[in-house]
Amino acid sequence: MDTTERLELKEKGRVVNMSKLLAPLALVIVYAFFAIFGRNFFSYTTLVNILDSSYYIGFIAIGVTFVIITGGIDLSCGTVMMASTIIGGTAFKTWGWPMWLALLLVLLVSTAFGFFNGFMVSHLSLPPFIATLGTMMISLGIGSIVSNVRSVAFPARGAPDSWFKSLFKYNTAGNFSIPTGAIVLFGTAFIAFLILTRTKMGRYIFAVGSNKEAARLSGVNVTRWEMSAYVISGLLAGVGGIGFAAVYTTVMPAQGQGFELYAIAGAVIGGTSLSGGAGSVLGTMIGVYIMSVLRTGLPSMNLQSQYQTFFTGVVVLGAVLLDIYRNKKATEIKILAPSDQYRIDKQLEVEALRGQINVASATKKRALREELKVLQAEIRKNYQEMKRAEKAQAEALEREEKEFEKREN
Amino acid sequence: MSEVVLSMKGIDKRFAGVHALKGVDFDLYYGEIHALVGENGAGKSTLMKALTGIFPKDSGEINYLGKLFNPQGPKEALDAGIAIVHQELNMMEHLTVAQNLFIGRESTKHNKWILDEKAQNRRALELFAKLNMNIEPTELVRNLTVGKQQMVEIAKAVSHNLKVLVLDEPTAALTDREIEDLFAIMRDLAAQGVGMIYISHRLDEIGVITDRVTVLRDGEYVGTKATKDLSKEEMINMMVGRVIYEKPKEKSTVDEDAPVVLKVENLNAGRLVQNVSFELRKGEILGFAGLMGAGRTETMRALYGADKSSGDVWVNGRKVNINEPLDAVKVGIGYLSEDRKRFGLAVNLSVEENVVMPSLEELTPGAFIHRKNLDKVAETFVDKLSIRTPSIDQIVNNLSGGNQQKVVIAKWLIKNSSILIFDEPTRGIDVGAKSEIYHLMNELVAEGKSIIMISSELNEVLRMSDRVAVMCEGKLTGFLDIEDATQEKVMHLATLRM
Repeated sequence: MDTTERLELKEKGRVVNMSKLLAPLALVIVYAFFAIFGRNFFSYTTLVNILDSSYYIGFIAIGVTFVIITGGIDLSCGTVMMASTIIGGTAFKTWGWPMWLALLLVLLVSTAFGFFNGFMVSHLSLPPFIATLGTMMISLGIGSIVSNVRSVAFPARGAPDSWFKSLFKYNTAGNFSIPTGAIVLFGTAFIAFLILTRTKMGRYIFAVGSNKEAARLSGVNVTRWEMSAYVISGLLAGVGGIGFAAVYTTVMPAQGQGFELYAIAGAVIGGTSLSGGAGSVLGTMIGVYIMSVLRTGLPSMNLQSQYQTFFTGVVVLGAVLLDIYRNKKATEIKILAPSDQYRIDKQLEVEALRGQINVASATKKRALREELKVLQAEIRKNYQEMKRAEKAQAEALEREEKEFEKREN
Repeated sequence: MSEVVLSMKGIDKRFAGVHALKGVDFDLYYGEIHALVGENGAGKSTLMKALTGIFPKDSGEINYLGKLFNPQGPKEALDAGIAIVHQELNMMEHLTVAQNLFIGRESTKHNKWILDEKAQNRRALELFAKLNMNIEPTELVRNLTVGKQQMVEIAKAVSHNLKVLVLDEPTAALTDREIEDLFAIMRDLAAQGVGMIYISHRLDEIGVITDRVTVLRDGEYVGTKATKDLSKEEMINMMVGRVIYEKPKEKSTVDEDAPVVLKVENLNAGRLVQNVSFELRKGEILGFAGLMGAGRTETMRALYGADKSSGDVWVNGRKVNINEPLDAVKVGIGYLSEDRKRFGLAVNLSVEENVVMPSLEELTPGAFIHRKNLDKVAETFVDKLSIRTPSIDQIVNNLSGGNQQKVVIAKWLIKNSSILIFDEPTRGIDVGAKSEIYHLMNELVAEGKSIIMISSELNEVLRMSDRVAVMCEGKLTGFLDIEDATQEKVMHLATLRM
């Protein structure tokens, strides 16, 4: 591999790495902005608020990240989350199930929806958009049917069977609240991170998203791994639903529409590519928190929720544009002028000479070093001259063209 | 004969590193059907693209209707009366025949605000009547047979005040009956003075329908002759009579008693794979030769389980059932696709992720990945194949074509597949990388692996293979032992319609 090639690749790598830092940087900037200009923003209570309001979106955003990496989309994660929660709530309230069993039911129902999505996409080859759009409506309907279109209230704090609330928010005796949910969310994110980067399942999910046909021809069981992404998304929708119940207590029928869009937005802001094959859990979490900070921060500047939606939209577009720019930079092809070619060729001679110096005897070394210096000076001089000539030529050409146009007119 | 409508002189075109057209001459009379023939990559399509301005020529001139002609694109060429009907038809299948015919110049009424379908259908009928075509203008294009669709394209071209019509492999997908109809229409057009350039691999048809033949070889003009003075054998000699830089293999290097590792019987998959049967022996390179569209890639995809197929396959004497690529990989077959970016690589993933993809299960048992193991294996093979990459974490997209190809080969070497299918292994890579890959293939068969190599370069086939299988239009037309294989013999089998 010759030097320029290596240099070029290094440069590309640098651009990519720098733009990876942009999302975390944006989060810090947004937070700092509100801390300085917002009223009462920089406080423990606000921080707890930010964390509280991000659980349910956070979980489904992690789930949907898996699906998007395979090149698919899950539009049903929001409604599946609320449907499974309201079914679990109904089991507890109306059917008298114990709380632990009701919560297990939540997870079971949401995972079943995940299986359903996965089966339609991987086995029946339905386009993910259509398959999950259907599931979105079906789950919305099932939630309302099972709950008989009545809202379900989970037990309030302090009531019997409210132990599960402490999983997501723990209040001490002095009414000091600890956002334990953040620990659960971060833990889940960490496990998801491990799955994506350290397990074969993660490998295959990336492979399927990057080039499904190549993965299939490599003998990868594409159907199985594509399916697994949807199952994970379903399972995490259930976890998010339990988090929702813990923080907000009351679950309404026909709730959850639109949540999936925030989850997708979070993943996209975090750099997950909708064409598949690229994405990270860390990025998604940052995307979720950027939205969460906006949601909590804008009211502190007397801007209400309509502004939050507006700014989230701006952030999403900015993130996607950035992603496109990043990809373009990474795959850009440089056209070599003769001068560049000259420098590349000569660089090889320099490398060869350096190799000689390394093995030569002490006396010879000095002579060779001199030679190297001369060669380098010559390269520099010729390169500059050639560049100048090329530039002059280009200018002359442009002038000619202009004159030609004038005459034509 | 009559007057010249189109003449091209000294057309030259270079692409990065490839001299695709080397000063080619070509002329066409009014009312003439002129065949343009040559092997794959001889420059036929490139010449037609230069004619219609799909890309600019580097030098040379085109005279059309007695004037210099420099179209900036196919649209301008079409407006001037030069049309191409491609092998793959470009039609809007969900629209009607008439809507397709007059797209962009629809009949209108009420000051051009409202479409007038009735008038448009009438226009179409008039056009078809003039051309002796029997097609319903209100029929949806997707309901027509391929032959009829092609006629619609020709009619569309004719409706543009046509002077020159280029037909690129027009008969490849047609039945004999449809070919008859097409020829009748071509003769009609010729009688009306339209000059036609007829690109085809079917030498028999050329003898029937054309007036003159121009042969290209490796981008060079070989010659033009009247069809009636030219036998099929002479045509083949003109097509293949090139200077050979690389000496062909003289003798098979396969042991006399080498066992059969792969046996395929009556493999069928659609029109391009019909009753294909062959055997591959241990340590053998079996070359698959044939012209474009002979069905070689389709045969291998069917064998590999990438497409649905029927037929019997034995690996090492054991009957196997291959329904999915996964099954083929399990019995030790590796497939290197002709289109590595679409089918061979996940270009946005790293070298390491790509090379270990088929063999993850063996390299790291259990759910978790042992990065160290994988890195070691990947690095070993990056070294062994001298893949030039700054690190194994480099994204594959950033590597050169030759190195990308080696990444795909590394995949199957790591998997330790004993039967390797190499489909156009040297396509789109430079000379240096090419000889490295040849060297590698020889090493692999010396180690006891067996290779099926599809190649469209006759040189390559004769240089690498121990035995050559030749296909033509979905059928295996013959085998040649390397000792008595010549370019002429291969080409004869490749144009033998059975």
